[in-house]
Amino acid sequence: MKITVKDDGGVTIVNLEGRLDLATGGELKEEIKTICEKGSKRIHMNLQKVDFINSSGLGSLVSVMKQVRIKKGKLTLSNLAPYVREIFDITQLSHVFEIHETEQEALASVEKISAGK
Amino acid sequence: MSTSKNFEYLSESAAFSRVVDDVNKILDKENVSRDERNPFVLAVSEALTNAVIHGNKKDPSKKVKVTVTVDEKLMSADIIDEGQGGLDRIRTRKPSAPKDEGGRGIDLIEHYATSVGYVQIPGSGFKVEIRINRISNSVTEDASSGNGGINEDHG
Repeated sequence: MKITVKDDGGVTIVNLEGRLDLATGGELKEEIKTICEKGSKRIHMNLQKVDFINSSGLGSLVSVMKQVRIKKGKLTLSNLAPYVREIFDITQLSHVFEIHETEQEALASVEKISAGK
Repeated sequence: MSTSKNFEYLSESAAFSRVVDDVNKILDKENVSRDERNPFVLAVSEALTNAVIHGNKKDPSKKVKVTVTVDEKLMSADIIDEGQGGLDRIRTRKPSAPKDEGGRGIDLIEHYATSVGYVQIPGSGFKVEIRINRISNSVTEDASSGNGGINEDHG
């Protein structure tokens, strides 16, 4: 799995590429831990290039979400392939995560919250 | 055309990506579309993960045997570990809560599979049998065979 991280006006954007499973989920958790330790509280994950995810990969995303919430942060997801979105729906995780169609939509939601404070 | 192949994996993390590669190669050979293959690859991956973690308890000296067969009507996989008590684990599993990090693998297999069989092989191991009808043939198959559902067997 390839993980790239960039900062966009106070939001840390994490792009995931490849397979998200038990073998790669640990790497993602470590990366998010590092981001949280640096003080970032707005994290967005773009899953456009995730071509495979299984229940272990979902588990690592749940773990990441908990990590972010412990730090009183916000995590959003976007650009899920239809098949990946279906897995979120089957497992009812689409009710647990804040999922947006596009990255722009997700960033706009974060901006709205920031502006409201 | 039909392709059938046997694989053997050590109970270590490299197996998780290897099984996905191996299954995809067979599906490539049988020209299975992306939409059609995703549920099958997912189901095999889930069963192998369970076999490595729960069946073989990540003991690298223990193996998981996988047989994959694909033809124009059916995608089929048998996943056999060296563990005991698999059937009890399946029967007594609890539904996962939304914020649980695990426990969704069997639910996903059962969601996508046309049929799933669980077989405890006494003194040998635990077998998961996954069968998924090919999309183009599933309507007639379902109507004629009454296939589908979950089967348990003590071997």
